Amino acid sequence: MRSYVQGPASVDESSQLPLWRRAETMDLVYVGYGLLVVALVLASYLLGALGWLPHDPQAMNVGLINAAPFTPGHLLGTDFLGRDLQARLILGIQAYFLPGLLAITISVVAGSVLGILAGYRGGWSDTIITYFDNLLDSFPRLVLILLVIASFKPDIYYVMVVVGITGMPVIANLIAGKIAFLRQTNFIEAAHALGLPAHTVILKHILWFNCRAALVIQATLGMAEAILVETSLSYLGFGVQEPTPSWGNMVQAGANYFLQGNFWPSTAPALAILATILGFQLLGDGLNNLLEGKRGK
Amino acid sequence: MKFAAVRPVSRVLARELAVTALLLLGVSAVVFAILYLAPGDPLNVLLEGQSPRSELALGMREALGVPRTWYGQYAAWFGKMLQGNFGNSIRTGLPVLPELARVGVNTLYLTLGSLALTLLIAVPIAVHTAAHGDTAGNTAATIGAYILSAVPVFWFGYIVVYVFIHKFGMFPLISGTATKQAQAWLYFLVPIFVLGTASGTLSEVIRHLREELSRVLAEDYIRTARAKGAPVWRHAFKEGFLIPVTEIVSAKIPFLLGGAVIVEQVFNWPGMGRMAWQAAQDRDYPVIMGIALVAAAFVRFGNLLQRVVFTAVNPRASKE
Repeated sequence: MRSYVQGPASVDESSQLPLWRRAETMDLVYVGYGLLVVALVLASYLLGALGWLPHDPQAMNVGLINAAPFTPGHLLGTDFLGRDLQARLILGIQAYFLPGLLAITISVVAGSVLGILAGYRGGWSDTIITYFDNLLDSFPRLVLILLVIASFKPDIYYVMVVVGITGMPVIANLIAGKIAFLRQTNFIEAAHALGLPAHTVILKHILWFNCRAALVIQATLGMAEAILVETSLSYLGFGVQEPTPSWGNMVQAGANYFLQGNFWPSTAPALAILATILGFQLLGDGLNNLLEGKRGK
Repeated sequence: MKFAAVRPVSRVLARELAVTALLLLGVSAVVFAILYLAPGDPLNVLLEGQSPRSELALGMREALGVPRTWYGQYAAWFGKMLQGNFGNSIRTGLPVLPELARVGVNTLYLTLGSLALTLLIAVPIAVHTAAHGDTAGNTAATIGAYILSAVPVFWFGYIVVYVFIHKFGMFPLISGTATKQAQAWLYFLVPIFVLGTASGTLSEVIRHLREELSRVLAEDYIRTARAKGAPVWRHAFKEGFLIPVTEIVSAKIPFLLGGAVIVEQVFNWPGMGRMAWQAAQDRDYPVIMGIALVAAAFVRFGNLLQRVVFTAVNPRASKE
């Protein structure tokens, strides 16, 4: 039980406060951690793209293999060929960053279009889109991706198109649900009564004013999914191939030494995956609680 | 009264069955379309290294009786599938469906076992947090579930294997196959434990159940029940527990099957996921097609069960 009773008066009062003051502490912690992760990923991506790495990620040092962290010269240690783990971790972000952005762009844009068609037009387009959503939801994502890999031998960008397509139903349902709710509100009715064209109502009053927070949240969660898919595929040997680093194939490469007690080379990328996916998930959920007011009490 | 309520429910169920059948038809169309659009020709795999001449491929095509049009091919393929003929594996030459049935049982053990474990962990946490609100312990449990669900399942598998080797002196490396040893059941439980805790379903089950249950517990009818001293849990059970649990379980079946691909790979579990990995490696079309179809059928069946529960529990569902 909550120790206080929230009456209507206190709700009014508290809604005057700035967002960060009426938020719950945990949500702020979630969002703060998430933003930190996003900033780190972004900075590391840029470092990798510009080639400003602490070491050459491919330079081997056979005299110093599977080194522990804080070894002089190698802050995060080295892998089974004596390559610098820090440099490889930073470079590993290249493997999922742009592909992940592609996936979430596809799901957000195409999902919104489907959601608008289903929610705004209704009728037959609603039925067809619901069917299409259910159809996509029927496939385990990894199985569908393996099917596509077996048929096309695609590179990671095409795989991410599949990830983007399988991410559409969530967004479409979300937008359709929002529109079903918004259509009954006075301001949308007023917009229609004023004779505003449909695209203004949809793009400005529905998508921009009322759905942008939800879309950002879904995009954040979608990035977590994309990272999960990329690292899983690289682990399974279908994604980025050695010697190009990806967090997934780094875990896989280090795993051979894991059972001998050399945890670090596969644990370092695993922790990077853990911290990053956690960051995107917490950012999404925290923002959801803050902006959409869905409190998991 | 009861009799009147029975009819619409059965009508709804008939409708759900029809929808499921339509969706499975769509699933087969998607699988066919992917293979049809794929570059290259399965015949090239069959004829590999024998003859590059196109007349020969054409002759082979005629000899095998492959229809020329896409709808002809789809109809022929679909017709054979209805008779239980999913084709033969290119790698092993064995018929796909019996092979799938053989390994599918192992995947079923793995996914159902991990589902049970997930619920065993998630339900107490969710019910407790919904009933008692945010306490320090609840916050810790929630954060723990978040972290656990972000752990890469393949790495977590190695940790568990390491612990078993070095702490318990066991080698659960070929799980599911070793049956002689006294602790054979442990070989079964380890992958189930890994998939059940670290597949990402845990935190979502907790979140969904907690949100729904706390929403229901705040409803007027629960307040009324509480005020008149009626058992609150019995009143909240259907809407606040049964429906959200079946909803999230059916929504998470595809994720469990996807997670099974990785866990089976880590533990050498002889299931459908490992078979899918092998098939993707070898570009073994018939096998991966069969797996995609069977997995989608699993998902639709889970969804159908959820709709059945929902319709049975919620009389309003029959009004749709």
